[in-house]
Amino acid sequence: MARLKFLCDADRCIECNACVTACKNENEVPWGINRRRVVTINDGKPGERSISMACMHCTDAPCAAVCPVSCFYGTADGLVLHDKDLCIGCGYCFYACPFGAPQYPRVGNFGGRGKMDKCTYCAGGPQADNSAVEYAQYGANRLAEGKLPLCAEMCSTKALLAGDGEIIAAIYKERVQRRGYGSGAWGWRTAYKEGLAV
Amino acid sequence: MAETFATQKPATLIWCMGATQHTVGTANVRAFCILLLATGNVGGNGNGANIFRGHCNVQGATDVGLDVVTLPFYYGLDENAWRHWCRVWDVPFESMAARFDTPQMMGVPGIPTTRYFDAVQMPGQGAKREGDENYLQQRDSLKAMVVFGHGGNTVTRMPEAAKGLEKLDLLVVADPHPTTFAVLANRRENTYLLPICTQFETSGSRTASNRSLQWGSKVVEPIFESKDDYEAMYRLAGALDRAAERRAMPVRFQAELFKHIEVQGQQPSAESILREINRGSWSTGYSGQSPERLKLHMANQQHFDLVSLRGKEGTPVAGDFYGLPWPCWGTPEMKHPGTHILYNTNLHVKDGGGTFRARFGVERNGETLLAEGSWPKGSEIEDGYPEFTVAVLKRLGWFDELTAPEKASLEHHFGANIDRASWSTDLSGGIIRVAMEHGCMHYGNGKARANAWNLPDPVPVHREPIYTPRTDLIAQYPTLPDRRGFRLPHLGQSVQARSNTVGRDFPIVLTTGRLVEYEGGGEETRSNKWLAELQQDMFVEINPGDAQSRGIRDGQWVWVTGPESNSRARVKALVTERVGPGVAFMPFHFGGWFMGEDLRGRYPTGTDPIVLGESANTITTYGYDPVTFMQETKVTLCQIRSA
Ligand code: SF4
Ligand code: SF4
Repeated sequence: MARLKFLCDADRCIECNACVTACKNENEVPWGINRRRVVTINDGKPGERSISMACMHCTDAPCAAVCPVSCFYGTADGLVLHDKDLCIGCGYCFYACPFGAPQYPRVGNFGGRGKMDKCTYCAGGPQADNSAVEYAQYGANRLAEGKLPLCAEMCSTKALLAGDGEIIAAIYKERVQRRGYGSGAWGWRTAYKEGLAV
Repeated sequence: MAETFATQKPATLIWCMGATQHTVGTANVRAFCILLLATGNVGGNGNGANIFRGHCNVQGATDVGLDVVTLPFYYGLDENAWRHWCRVWDVPFESMAARFDTPQMMGVPGIPTTRYFDAVQMPGQGAKREGDENYLQQRDSLKAMVVFGHGGNTVTRMPEAAKGLEKLDLLVVADPHPTTFAVLANRRENTYLLPICTQFETSGSRTASNRSLQWGSKVVEPIFESKDDYEAMYRLAGALDRAAERRAMPVRFQAELFKHIEVQGQQPSAESILREINRGSWSTGYSGQSPERLKLHMANQQHFDLVSLRGKEGTPVAGDFYGLPWPCWGTPEMKHPGTHILYNTNLHVKDGGGTFRARFGVERNGETLLAEGSWPKGSEIEDGYPEFTVAVLKRLGWFDELTAPEKASLEHHFGANIDRASWSTDLSGGIIRVAMEHGCMHYGNGKARANAWNLPDPVPVHREPIYTPRTDLIAQYPTLPDRRGFRLPHLGQSVQARSNTVGRDFPIVLTTGRLVEYEGGGEETRSNKWLAELQQDMFVEINPGDAQSRGIRDGQWVWVTGPESNSRARVKALVTERVGPGVAFMPFHFGGWFMGEDLRGRYPTGTDPIVLGESANTITTYGYDPVTFMQETKVTLCQIRSA
């Protein structure tokens, strides 16, 4: 079974936000909730780099470890998904997550938190695949249709890769070897407990 | 840079509006081309001048003739050009001439979109005051305007634009969303908003930056009551005909100009529009891309090589370049593959090869302007030569290689003047076909020209911007003297002199440009919730040093003020080292606020974009390229203060 991962090649990302827009459109993510976002470091200075970030679907996911109602579940492909019907919006996973992936809609006027929302790797939720109820709560289930997440599919520079961890790591290594530099697969050590030395 | 270009080959130069939207725009572009020519970077794989366009089909729209100095496909405005298009449209030349105030006006360039509001505010020749250059070179001021697909806030000097819009007798805005044109002036009467559908709701050919054409098919039916451009124009033409009939005026638009366009109900067919383009556009080689050939390419996209753009052997598109990039010479039946690389003498002319055009005569100051020692692969003439006419074919003894129908077409259209018929006006395509059979370029084989003796600066020189902080450079590098062009006065040095007095109050250089999230005037994209969320506020980028000395914090409201028309804009500060000290940047896609006022209430209910903001062009100032009247959007002066 493949272990699905994300890889963002910061030496290629041009901060175009196509991945963010694709995600929002495909999953009808409401205004103010960002399952994916692009972060730019050293803005306007030499060495400026941008990284497209979403839930990395961690190995031994910290979010799952702290959830008081055990709403997270792993899939056979290594994805970390969650059940919104169980979620109580406590926000623990946000504090545990090293990537700031979990998002909460604001409900009411007193900063109350709604059910947690995060990247599903375009793999929907616990309901029947591609059912209307699944779409309403979690968005698209492209994986069930044999497709990869739309963010990576739409990436204009192919900086963002999604797929079997071994295959995307090999693509990245070949790139780095060819061009002679690479700042490393950002976040991999934290998320997957492995570096990507070339 | 020249050394890099000379030694690191192939080298290409890519530019967009950063080079062209200047008082020296034409000179910049020419300097780039000269650099490429002098370093041997033209006509080969991976080299050349690559100018990227900002929207779908900007290239096509330009080719088809939205430039006010020419009829479609760069034929110019002289009588030959008019007669050519009259033959294509099948309309008598006299009927065209009758549409103009005087016969001379037929050849006078129109008013560019960068200056429409000046043309509204200036008197026409009728009301011109003696000795006053401030007049429009036509009978009357501009009275009515129909705007198709143009944002309005992408044009400089918006405080003046607001005055001009207010003064128009009639304004029609045809666009998918109400643009800045619709709300900038407080117009109540004689203002019409026509809902036009997007490119996804209509079919037709679209030309990309690399000159490839693609057939776009309608994806969804037009939403609400919107119509596509074709139908809107067809119906407008019909309404004008009925009005003319009622007034017993002889002019007809729909009846004359749609003669060879198939119309179903009120809907002209996109295929027949392209066929008309094919019939007339020999000059630019838009003649070979029939709807059938383009659709074949779309259906066989997988058979094109991604690097060479060529259709693979053994497939229905073998040998063609993807999208038949223009020039695709001759008739569709000639099966020219399109021209992927311009001026490539390593290919046969029938295989996409080419020469430099012999456009500027055959000799100047005793020196030949024709090519020497250069010709395309397989050419029977191994030397330079002028462009092909019937007379040239006769002299070469090739005239009788024209087929009987080709000869008949030439005789029908040119009669006794047949010798003067040229490759670009021969509607049969025969002259092109015969020249190419001999490996020759019908437009001649000339030299590229670095010295453009008919332009204001034949060899490009530096000229300081109109508003410059380096007033010490004005004496040595002044802008051009005041002059006239495009029916209007064109001020240069008299405005530039203001730099000496306004510099103290406006010490920051302001430049403008694009954001990736928004497009053009921005109404479509600012109305899209996914994109609008990414850029919610109009902003000015300011260097940390300049921000600190003004007590400005990142994200706070500031006033940007400009040196003309008491212009001011309330925007958010983005403190960043993206801009150097003394320089500020504003994106030009925002609209719907004007000098501190929120105009949201002026949009028809439900049509207001999600995000509104001040327009950068509220602050931009006077300045036009002398050849094109392209506006100066890239350099002016401003001041920034806390709001
Ligand atoms: S990135 Fe955050 S939310 Fe996603 S699996 Fe890891 S810890 Fe959980
Ligand atoms: S689409 Fe690709 S290049 Fe664009 S921001 Fe996302 S990761 Fe970067």
